[in-house]
Amino acid sequence: MILPIWFGPAVVVLITWGIAGLLQKLSTNHLSAETALLGLVVGFFLLDPWLYPKESILMYSSRSLVVALLSSLLNALGAWALLAAMKNGGKASIVVPFTALYPLVTVAFAPWVLHEEITALQAGGVVCASIAVVLLST
Amino acid sequence: MQVPAALKAKWFWYSILSVVCMGGWTLLGKLGTTEISAPTMQFLYPFGWLPVALACLWVRGFRLERSLRGALYSISIGVLGGIGGLAFFAACRTGGNTSAITAATAMYPLITVVLAVLILREKLTWLHVAGLVFAAVAFVLFSL
Repeated sequence: MILPIWFGPAVVVLITWGIAGLLQKLSTNHLSAETALLGLVVGFFLLDPWLYPKESILMYSSRSLVVALLSSLLNALGAWALLAAMKNGGKASIVVPFTALYPLVTVAFAPWVLHEEITALQAGGVVCASIAVVLLST
Repeated sequence: MQVPAALKAKWFWYSILSVVCMGGWTLLGKLGTTEISAPTMQFLYPFGWLPVALACLWVRGFRLERSLRGALYSISIGVLGGIGGLAFFAACRTGGNTSAITAATAMYPLITVVLAVLILREKLTWLHVAGLVFAAVAFVLFSL
């Protein structure tokens, strides 16, 4: 069986974000959501010296740079909205599975925005993954 | 006709906002990686978080709690989140299907659940076990 080329990096995502999920619980035992979010940004910046691009950032089109920054802004807003949902009476057991369903937005819009098609097997995988996220987060 | 209580609750609309934002993040992330390399995408990442971080500082009245342990945990989340983000962008750069990559990587609660059982001594329910089975099936389907 030949695994798709993206499978290796995806496993790294699963492991790192999986551990981060545990640390989220531990950090909010000691800090407010806002302060924890600030620590997160500090952590992001700690990696930047190693990620400093060899080429000038200006060599990229302004469109791509705006898209990249908008992407991270949306991610930050999504993280804040999740914390705000919990702060405004949402139970973690409901909010977490609810917000982990964001791949459904990706699946719904990828054919239009990215002109990608999904195979029947991948569609089945998306359904199973969504069910898994809901069940694991209950 | 009665409106369901959840539709009147703030948390419901915040959750909807989170889902929409996170979905938009994956789509724009894929678009960005068509030209920009994965390390440069991740390099730019914290700059996009700065407006939200500044808003959080303002909400807190520029006063933060003092907890070394809490700070270390939250900074570690940033480092791990950054490494994971780098890997996510690298996966997007391979030309793989964004829907499949996003759904596969969104199963990270699987690892959290396993760690919570091992480290925090939390107990698994039957629903969790069923979730692990669905996650395993999804992995197999994505790899075909």
